[in-house]
Amino acid sequence: MAARFDYAQAEEIRAAFARHGVRYLFLGKSGAILLGFPDTTQDADLFIEKTVANGRAVVAALRELGFALTEAQAAEIERGKDFVQLKNGPFDVDLVFAPDGIETFEGAWRRHVEVEGFPVCHLDDIIASKGAANRVRDRETLPRLLAFRDYWLRQRR
Amino acid sequence: MQTCEGIGYPGRMRIDDAPLPGIDDERVRQWEAEFEAAARRPLPIRLRYAFIRTYKPVLDDAAYRSFDTMADYRSWCEANLPTWLGYGRQV
Repeated sequence: MAARFDYAQAEEIRAAFARHGVRYLFLGKSGAILLGFPDTTQDADLFIEKTVANGRAVVAALRELGFALTEAQAAEIERGKDFVQLKNGPFDVDLVFAPDGIETFEGAWRRHVEVEGFPVCHLDDIIASKGAANRVRDRETLPRLLAFRDYWLRQRR
Repeated sequence: MQTCEGIGYPGRMRIDDAPLPGIDDERVRQWEAEFEAAARRPLPIRLRYAFIRTYKPVLDDAAYRSFDTMADYRSWCEANLPTWLGYGRQV
């Protein structure tokens, strides 16, 4: 089992993805946590722009971070499968190329928020994604996440 | 007052500052106290508290999985994961 994700690893992602010019956003609960939402999660969810060039950049960055990707796996990421779950590296990460509830990466990028240099989906996109996924775990989180949205927007006014 | 029509939370469209559906004021006050406390912590500390590591049966048993569509992934979760993990749409 990989180690618990921590700040140093988030910094490593940020640095490696920047070196390779990866277009990505933190999404899901890990994104909400970066925005200040106090909750727990196990892995980082990254919304990756679905282009071949960006897929190649992600593969290069992930290999640099220590993910053991086979050629076949690298090809899948470059092609941009909608969802890739990686547990073959120093921490667990989910690559999401087409998240539920968010129409385009470009739209999410226009709305995104930077937190200490980490690119994070706007909270409305995180909520929209969880609402559209509508899993039991999402329905459990959403009321508190909506309350956090009210708090977060008040702090930003 | 800003509407939240862009929020895709089925059946839960709401207006900013409107009461959260089904949530009492005391609960919201408790949550807001937690949000305030979290806001006082630096980001590295917030991440240290937030990311945990526990074994999730089936889900953690493969080093790599990929799905052509999110619908495929959701279907796989429904068919293969224990319901108590919460990855399905039904309890």
